[in-house]
Amino acid sequence: MKLKLDKKDFENFFQSLMDEYDLYAPVQLAEGVSVFKKIDHPGEVNLTQLHPQKPAKDVFFPQSEVMFRYEKVGKQNQMHSTEEVKRERILFGARPCDIEAISIIEKVFVGEEYTDIYFLEKRKKTTIIGLGCNHPLSTCFCSSAGGDPFLRAGSDLFFIDLGEAYFVELLTEKGMAFRKNKFFKEADPKDLTLVKELEEKAFEKVGFSIPVDGIEKRLDLMGESSFWDRVHEKCIGCRICTYLCPTCHCFDMVDEASNDKGKRVRNWDSCLSPLYSLETSGHNPRPTTRERTRQRLMHKFNYFPKIFDRVACVGCGRCILYCPVHFDIREAINRTSPKRLKRFVGERL
Amino acid sequence: MVVKKASIETTDRMLRTLELSFLNEEDAKAFHFIPGQFCELSIFGKGEAPFGIASSPTENGSLKFTINKAGVVTTALHHIEEGTEVGIRGPLGNGYPIDLFKGKNVLVIGGGFAFTTLRSLIAYLLHPENRSKVNEITVIYGARMPGLLLYKEELTQWEKRSDLKLMVTVDWGDKDWKGKVGLVPNVLEEVAPSSENTYAVICGPPIMIKFTFPKLMALRFPDERIYTSLERRMKCGIGKCGRCNIGHLYVCKNGPVFNYAQLKKLPKDY
Amino acid sequence: MVQQKIREKARELLTKKAVDLIIGFGEGTLPLRATPLFIRSPEEVDRLIWNSFCENNLATYLHKLSQFKVGLVVKGCDSRSIIALSLEKRFKPDQLFLIGVPCQRMVDRRRVKKAVKGEILRAHEQGDQIMVEGEDFKTALKRDDFLYPSCRMCTHRTPIQANVLIGDPVEESPLIETHPEVKDFEKKSPEERWKYFEKESSRCIQCYACREACPMCYCVECFVDSYNPKWIEKGLSPSDLEFYHIVRAYHQTGRCSGCGACERACPMEIRLTYLTQKLNRDAKELFGFEAGIDADAPPPLSTYEIEDRQEFIK
Repeated sequence: MKLKLDKKDFENFFQSLMDEYDLYAPVQLAEGVSVFKKIDHPGEVNLTQLHPQKPAKDVFFPQSEVMFRYEKVGKQNQMHSTEEVKRERILFGARPCDIEAISIIEKVFVGEEYTDIYFLEKRKKTTIIGLGCNHPLSTCFCSSAGGDPFLRAGSDLFFIDLGEAYFVELLTEKGMAFRKNKFFKEADPKDLTLVKELEEKAFEKVGFSIPVDGIEKRLDLMGESSFWDRVHEKCIGCRICTYLCPTCHCFDMVDEASNDKGKRVRNWDSCLSPLYSLETSGHNPRPTTRERTRQRLMHKFNYFPKIFDRVACVGCGRCILYCPVHFDIREAINRTSPKRLKRFVGERL
Repeated sequence: MVVKKASIETTDRMLRTLELSFLNEEDAKAFHFIPGQFCELSIFGKGEAPFGIASSPTENGSLKFTINKAGVVTTALHHIEEGTEVGIRGPLGNGYPIDLFKGKNVLVIGGGFAFTTLRSLIAYLLHPENRSKVNEITVIYGARMPGLLLYKEELTQWEKRSDLKLMVTVDWGDKDWKGKVGLVPNVLEEVAPSSENTYAVICGPPIMIKFTFPKLMALRFPDERIYTSLERRMKCGIGKCGRCNIGHLYVCKNGPVFNYAQLKKLPKDY
Repeated sequence: MVQQKIREKARELLTKKAVDLIIGFGEGTLPLRATPLFIRSPEEVDRLIWNSFCENNLATYLHKLSQFKVGLVVKGCDSRSIIALSLEKRFKPDQLFLIGVPCQRMVDRRRVKKAVKGEILRAHEQGDQIMVEGEDFKTALKRDDFLYPSCRMCTHRTPIQANVLIGDPVEESPLIETHPEVKDFEKKSPEERWKYFEKESSRCIQCYACREACPMCYCVECFVDSYNPKWIEKGLSPSDLEFYHIVRAYHQTGRCSGCGACERACPMEIRLTYLTQKLNRDAKELFGFEAGIDADAPPPLSTYEIEDRQEFIK
């Protein structure tokens, strides 16, 4: 269904939903710094940045989450599980890359044998309103990584900024539930033309220049290559890339206790931390940044595709924008391109 | 689960075996595992850690774990009294490929306190229901000193059996030690079991594995018939937290038991 | 030209094998950015650059290169970090060859980005201006309006104790006397100060990039990772975040060279240098000590002088 929402109705539209839903949207914490947060008022929504520093995964897989609480009563323990999500939620303002990343995380967390109930509960109870990217950044390479600036997949509703209004598409059953919303109007044919123009312009800007296609096979040949000896050198192990990456999903579980009460908490963790695989004996299978950088790149472009047929990167470019030492993952990918591969593979064969 | 019985295994007091029994009958009935699998034991307030199951599925009703005192959780497990509740998640992991052992010989090589899951395997194979399914069983178990041997009672029982060839060895003997003295790889060379139709299962500290593998190669064991159980730092135990991966495989989910042919294809992240 | 002279020196050092590797700066893939560059052969020296975006403190890499002889391109603040580290015996005397470059003050790329509407696609320096271009704009910005605060108040732009100095020493007159935030801060009441600090640290995502970027943070086990005793949790609790920032600032007292690497690394743009600069000022006032100036001066918090103030000892 092709509808539109006038921008002057924007706040009222969301305000009307907040009786029923908790609304999560990008909020500015300081100039140039935003995160996805639960908002109290639609006026807090801030879309000045293409994407907030903290990705949309935060809404489904929070940086710090209580898994259960317990209380010691004598020698016994009483547990209270905390995965319940009481109210329905709406996520607004996430870009196609962040939304595609949620489905990537879902492949790991929701499985045949075991399911992450904390993630699944939040996922089931959230309606996602995606937002198309009229002006991708030069650091965006979503098209090379299996996505695109207007990818609808994963969104229940999809908004496109037309200037004075948002073009609205209702895509799934959850989305269709909004079809009678009083703030939505029929879109005009010229709205549809503008959408096409915006899409074409954005596709052209992002391009297909990064050789992500086939990278899994190329990296198969580079497991022990000297490529890894140099690529890690400038990495300081600060972990910003993994925390801000929309697909990174490694976590740690710790107990926080105070006398007889406590909780088990899940926090984001990073394979770039030296403590990540440090064993109690002191042995560390990944002792230096060389092994850890290799783990990160191989996991994203080789190990994950082996299991799930898709690279674990959506091309959002946050790691490029925020790395303090300007490690550019596109450069690393380029260096595995078929042309340059011979240089590294030759020595192994 | 609740701690039914706790006992110290070794003279250095670093290894303690806990026998845990289920709180509920239904849990006990629903818990089916094979040797080589592990469980995550929780002490609320301290944390959770993975431990190989030392008891065999044939020893009904309770589970045994041998804990090495090393960090916060293991220290807590060393201090809890009988009757304390312990959390458990499991069984996890893939276990030893006992189906492949049918009709074959099994060579078990263990070192130090990595012997825990091997105890489970041996006790399982020796059970009247299972013994006839495999042919010869040879076990070589070594520890640094006599006091550090685990499961001394079981070892004494097993040594008396005729359907099992057991060689217990120590790196350094003491005045009371009447048994073999020698490093595990050397004892293996001495015993020289035939590799024909034999599966080798080896569990031990990295240094022992490093020197034992060449001996197995020399005895012409093919890579696909050498199995080992790997250890990595783990948290979730179910392949979600990302921590214990080696290549695209997770030690907690696709392992911890791998054969050497698989390991050769993976990066050396262990 | 500075860039050319750096390349020549690097070529000389690598050809003579006087060093195993050289760490300098190379061209970034994005405008307004340079990146740390590691080179090991004379053929690579032409990748070295020098401009007002060479903002990283390269001394932080030395901790993982202790078995190599390293040639390092250093600005004034970086050389001070090195002196502070050598005081803490972090490397052997002949392990480093410092290529000192008197610093023209580094440009705050985030402020430049915020001064224009739209993404900057190309930028270059031209005299005392920065020319920035986007899809539908082209402006010239005055370089001096966009310097990092720590650079504006820097009093040691010429590297100290470098093995070689590229160019002449520069005039050491800071553009401002005190860090502007420290000045503001000192006018505030304790409640107002706490409110400011609380707001800044509430954005923290506990990534510890500030710690990794800092050359003085080299503890194998940082206090935040300590499990026994456990000082803070990793669950983004506000009091834990505040604790971390305060304690880290205190760990820098008398050691921090004011390079600003911490602030520049932070993805949430949290102000951090006001804390360390205030503590540096205190170190100067109370102990007459400035980090990284004199390689023989004993660190103030590890030594005791008779003249040290005592009125707080009751």
